[in-house]
Amino acid sequence: MPATIDHTDTDVILVIDDEPQIRRAVRNALSDPRRRLVEADSAETGIDMAASERPALIVLDLGLPDRDGLAVCVDLRSFTSVPIIVLSARHSDREKEKLLDAGADDYITKPFSTLELKARVRAQLRRAATRPSTDPADGIIIAQHLTIDLIGRTVKRASDEVHLTPTEWNLLRAFIAHTGRTLTHSQLFAAVWGEAAGDAQQYLRVYVGQLRRKLEIDPVRPRLIRTEPAVGYRFEPGE
Amino acid sequence: MTAPPTRAWQPRTWLFWFAILGGVGIAMLLARSRLDKAHVALTFLLVVLGGSSAGGRALGVSLAGTAFLAFDWFFLRPYETLFIADPLDWLVLFAFLITGVVAAHLMERQRREAESARTRADEIDRLATLGAETLNAPRAEEALDAIASVIRQAMATDGCAIFLRQDDGGLRLASGSPASETTEAHSALLSYTVDHAEAAAQRSDGTLTLVGDTLARRSPTAGYSELLALGIPLTVRGRVVGALQLSSTRPFTVSDDQRRVLSALSYYAALGVERLRLAGAEEEAESLRRADALKDALLASVSHDLRTPLTAIKAIANEVWRGGDPGRALVIEQEADRLNELVDNLLELSQINAGSLAITVALNTVDEVVGAAVERVEAAHGASDGRIEVHIANDDGILVGEFDFMHTTRALTNLLDNALKYSPPDSSIVLRAWQHRDRLLFAVEDSGRGILPGDEERVFEPFCRGRGLADGVRGTGLGLSIARELAEAQRGTLIYEPRPGGGCRFTLSLPAGTAPAE
Repeated sequence: MPATIDHTDTDVILVIDDEPQIRRAVRNALSDPRRRLVEADSAETGIDMAASERPALIVLDLGLPDRDGLAVCVDLRSFTSVPIIVLSARHSDREKEKLLDAGADDYITKPFSTLELKARVRAQLRRAATRPSTDPADGIIIAQHLTIDLIGRTVKRASDEVHLTPTEWNLLRAFIAHTGRTLTHSQLFAAVWGEAAGDAQQYLRVYVGQLRRKLEIDPVRPRLIRTEPAVGYRFEPGE
Repeated sequence: MTAPPTRAWQPRTWLFWFAILGGVGIAMLLARSRLDKAHVALTFLLVVLGGSSAGGRALGVSLAGTAFLAFDWFFLRPYETLFIADPLDWLVLFAFLITGVVAAHLMERQRREAESARTRADEIDRLATLGAETLNAPRAEEALDAIASVIRQAMATDGCAIFLRQDDGGLRLASGSPASETTEAHSALLSYTVDHAEAAAQRSDGTLTLVGDTLARRSPTAGYSELLALGIPLTVRGRVVGALQLSSTRPFTVSDDQRRVLSALSYYAALGVERLRLAGAEEEAESLRRADALKDALLASVSHDLRTPLTAIKAIANEVWRGGDPGRALVIEQEADRLNELVDNLLELSQINAGSLAITVALNTVDEVVGAAVERVEAAHGASDGRIEVHIANDDGILVGEFDFMHTTRALTNLLDNALKYSPPDSSIVLRAWQHRDRLLFAVEDSGRGILPGDEERVFEPFCRGRGLADGVRGTGLGLSIARELAEAQRGTLIYEPRPGGGCRFTLSLPAGTAPAE
């Protein structure tokens, strides 16, 4: 039952939710002349439409009657890499982490404010659009007040060089490679240390903390390496 | 713990005493003409006594025998023969031999008794120490750990585990030594022991037998040899409350002496298990009592805290629908947020009270947890606020602690939220964090009115709000109660004290951690 708002050839956003009230709220929040919203009321139609409509972003409710949300997420990831934002009622942090590990890009807890939903959707669309440019040819990345030279392996804060330990450098590389995406603790650990479990995992947060103290202007209010409480981190170099 | 049955062979002592015997003999031989038989006998006797006391019975008897021959050969006429001229000399000679041998025996017996008295004194000392430790240990689990480790050492086995018998008859591991290894429970052996209320042994040949009461001295010692595992029932007032399991990878034997000690130690273990069981029952009763009190408080508050926002929502929705100012819908959203917050709080509090709160203690940085709390509070109160000042004493390396990230964020959020709500709108809130020994301390200070004397503890109770609050400030009276419960659930504390100069100071204390060296 696709309900279309606009038919110009722009971003398609797919909303998969069984509750008409929530679909309505999402539609109102995201209505924009440059976007077209399509809606599905079950996991099955949702997956079909994700294949046929080629959306630029999917908003997926976890509490669908016909399928488990986590399984839907894995299914979607098997054929598309578009950003998925998950909507869910109160769920535990472990579930959030599982969701992100299953391929979701972000999550919003119900009840959510329309402002928050708009901001998250905007951020995901922007990230999807700029994804290929994360590793520029000259290897120089400007991230807020930092100049990061991936080839020369140096970081400059204003004009002062910041000395990073090998672990801190590897962490920074992993963050840059996943710019704008929430990395769960285990994803980040796997990206830096490989799959091998070790002592380092328990120290992950401490290493991130030490990196922040070197890079952030205010390590308590980080602007570059954001905390996703209990789930992981997100690297946001800014415009 | 075990008294050595015989003294080890000590060649040096033997050599020494035989040398003395020889020396004394030669000295007396040189002065033979001036010596009487009595001098010789008494001098040799002294050597025999000395030898017995230093080297034990065997040395004493050997010395007596040698001295006997030397006496006859060198000092009884005719000299240099074993023949004795005067029949009365026989009396002297045999009296000497018998005195020497008896003296050696007596000295040996006395030595053994002293040894065994010392062993028992050690045992009693050890039991008394253990008893005191058991009674003094703040937690029943710690007392059991101490008992398990003492038993393992005393019995010289690889492992000792203490099991608690649960109400359904099943056994639960209460303590094991060594603690690091997961103790393998010989469940068949244990249930056999518990069912028969009698010690049971598992032998290296795989057989399982009852070996009788450890206290009964008459039970066959054979039952306590070649063991792979030994199960002992723990009884208090005739009721089996648990079981003790001794196990080893190589077959072991329990001697009579060890059995006596084991039976005394297992009594302590039984008391420890009983204490653990009672503590569990008390905790359960306490949690029921608290759940009950909470339910009462909840019912009382539902009428007020839930109905107030609902009334507002209903009234404004009606007003907007009738064509009133649509901007008033913003109030509906605010009231809905308040309801949402209340539902969150209630869910959290009920989880804490039901004991079903999941706690993930991990190494976390103070920066991150404070950052998360500040971000949350600033988002709720308007980002441009800027009233929260943060001071973290990170100068000697980054501050880290062993705590649950989400629960600590929540506790700090509640403290900051209260501070912002209950202090003048432009006053600043200070959050300080530092380490003192093995504790991390977070202090949240405001310059509001503070808490009225007499209310300092009451404010931590669910649904209680301090008296004398500014009008128009709304709250559910759950924030501090949740914060304290969350702190205590992760080995922390939360206390209130008045801030010098006016206002509140809440101090959260959590276990500190160690950052990796790199």
